[in-house]
Amino acid sequence: MNSALGKFFIGVAVRIPLILWSLFVLYPLIWMFIGAFKSNGEIFASPWSIPESLHWSNFATAWTKYNIQTSFMNSLFVTLVGTLLCLVFAIPTSYAIERVKFRGSAVLFNVYLASMMIPMVLGWIPLFFILLHLNMLNNVWALSLIYAVTQIPFSIFILTSFMGSIPKELEEAAAIDGMSQYGVLLKIITPLTANGIITVSIMNSVTFWNEYFMALIFLQTKEKQTLGVTMDLMNQEAQYTNDWGALFAGLSISVIPVIIIYAIFQRRIMKGLTEGASKG
Amino acid sequence: MNLRNEQKRPLKNIGTAINIGFNLDGMQQPLHSLRIDFYTIFNKKKGDWMVQSKGRKYLFLLFCLLPTFLLFVVFTVYPMINGLYMSFFEWSGASGNKTFIGWDNYKELFSDPIIPKTIWHDYFLVVTKVIGIMILSLFFAVALTQLKIKEAPFYRIVFFFPNIMSVVVIGILWTFIYNPDLGLINSGLNKIGLGRLAKPWLGDTFWALPSLVLPSVWAGIGLFMLMLIGGILSVPKSLYEAADIDGASSWKQFWQITVPLVWPQIKTSILYIVITTLNGSFIIVQVMTEGGPNNATQVMGSYLYQKAFKEFNFGYGATIGVMILILSLVTVLLLQVFLKREKVDY
Repeated sequence: MNSALGKFFIGVAVRIPLILWSLFVLYPLIWMFIGAFKSNGEIFASPWSIPESLHWSNFATAWTKYNIQTSFMNSLFVTLVGTLLCLVFAIPTSYAIERVKFRGSAVLFNVYLASMMIPMVLGWIPLFFILLHLNMLNNVWALSLIYAVTQIPFSIFILTSFMGSIPKELEEAAAIDGMSQYGVLLKIITPLTANGIITVSIMNSVTFWNEYFMALIFLQTKEKQTLGVTMDLMNQEAQYTNDWGALFAGLSISVIPVIIIYAIFQRRIMKGLTEGASKG
Repeated sequence: MNLRNEQKRPLKNIGTAINIGFNLDGMQQPLHSLRIDFYTIFNKKKGDWMVQSKGRKYLFLLFCLLPTFLLFVVFTVYPMINGLYMSFFEWSGASGNKTFIGWDNYKELFSDPIIPKTIWHDYFLVVTKVIGIMILSLFFAVALTQLKIKEAPFYRIVFFFPNIMSVVVIGILWTFIYNPDLGLINSGLNKIGLGRLAKPWLGDTFWALPSLVLPSVWAGIGLFMLMLIGGILSVPKSLYEAADIDGASSWKQFWQITVPLVWPQIKTSILYIVITTLNGSFIIVQVMTEGGPNNATQVMGSYLYQKAFKEFNFGYGATIGVMILILSLVTVLLLQVFLKREKVDY
């Protein structure tokens, strides 16, 4: 009886910080969504109030007046193209490193791995001029390619570990049937790595969707900007226009796709991160 | 991290892999021996029946490796080297007037009164973030694994969510939370009668920098909590059971079993926080304060951006970039040494 009571109190004591932190995480997000439906008057009256009627107009203002429509599409573009390009370049290299024996394979792997530890800030200045000379500044294709390249090392790191668990017999059988190595890569390895490819692609696309600084430097006109840059500009403008409702609506619009992805793939993301950690 | 691959591919074992896809014809071996030989390392002295495939094999390797590596060199390696080179020039970006000035940028770096501030600010963020994130995420990881909490998945899902939000959104949201008139913090303080503590958080030269820590911790806990959970789950249950029988308290179990066995994950987490802070703290700074007020939150990266892309002093910007590179490499190396512990196996 005594120990049961003790357990109950421990249960309560542990839950207090857990619940408090949940509130601390969730409240600003809920506040953001509620703010998106408030009129400016309501926002100024009290940050804690609930809107009397839903101001959908905030979303319309953000979407059309503040360029969010265009930048949403641009973000979608760089996210999808970047994720695809990254796979196109990372899968063959991962396969070669993991399954084809060649001199320097470990060195190459470690070069990619080490580059994940190196700050890229220094590289951005020359990159800016490379793009300038190639006439690729303010170009969403170029930005997608650069995004893809920045995530190649990480993708190789994850994909090799997934490919390592594919039984070699499958490749052998295909080879005996006369399939070329290109065929093995495309028709055997790639489909069997689907789990790894999906995991990597989720991580990469979330990174690309959220990326801000390279977009700020490499994209220059309103028509090409991605969501991060647009939101930042909108925030700076709102200091003068006080159009907070539209700002909250804009923030909500840029978070909603991430929430959808998270809702669908939550289990996979959690599993990938906890298991990846224990492999260490 | 890379242990797995080093074990699998020791450098001295590199040889030629047999590739039966291309040279089945003329082969006399029965299938079972073929299996053994497939992808095993081939010693050139033993025979030459696979030599003919070498060309094709290298062609395949080129196909797999070359385009990726070229892109990696052009967009990652070359810019870094070129950045190093640029730090010796005075350059405003226009093509003609690039002048070599030797170490002048570095001399300017050492006499620039803002540089020590930016370094101090960066390391302030590093230390406070490591302490805040590690204590909280370790506590949550232990609570969610060791104690039987039915709704644990809910907490995991909630705590991790801010990790996948964009820093811009987090920054704007928190700028608003700190807003002196409309924000949650000041109005909350007023509500509970502590109105005298209310202040323009991000506009205050003393409070602006500490105010940046909270959003980073808020957004950072989840990832590290998950990594630590992964570590704790891989600790054999029997260890805790044995400790229970011996009558060891939970607190003792935590220090004697959990911490030593989860140390690799703790170390990785700390290193990761340090690297991402030194290389990425300027994003939240840029969004929330742009380095202000009066450089009170200026960090190395935001100062680089200001010098290079706002004042068009690209050479000096590159010099700051070199400083960031050197400082983060040195910090990581030092940490590797300090965080080294004897590997524990029970």
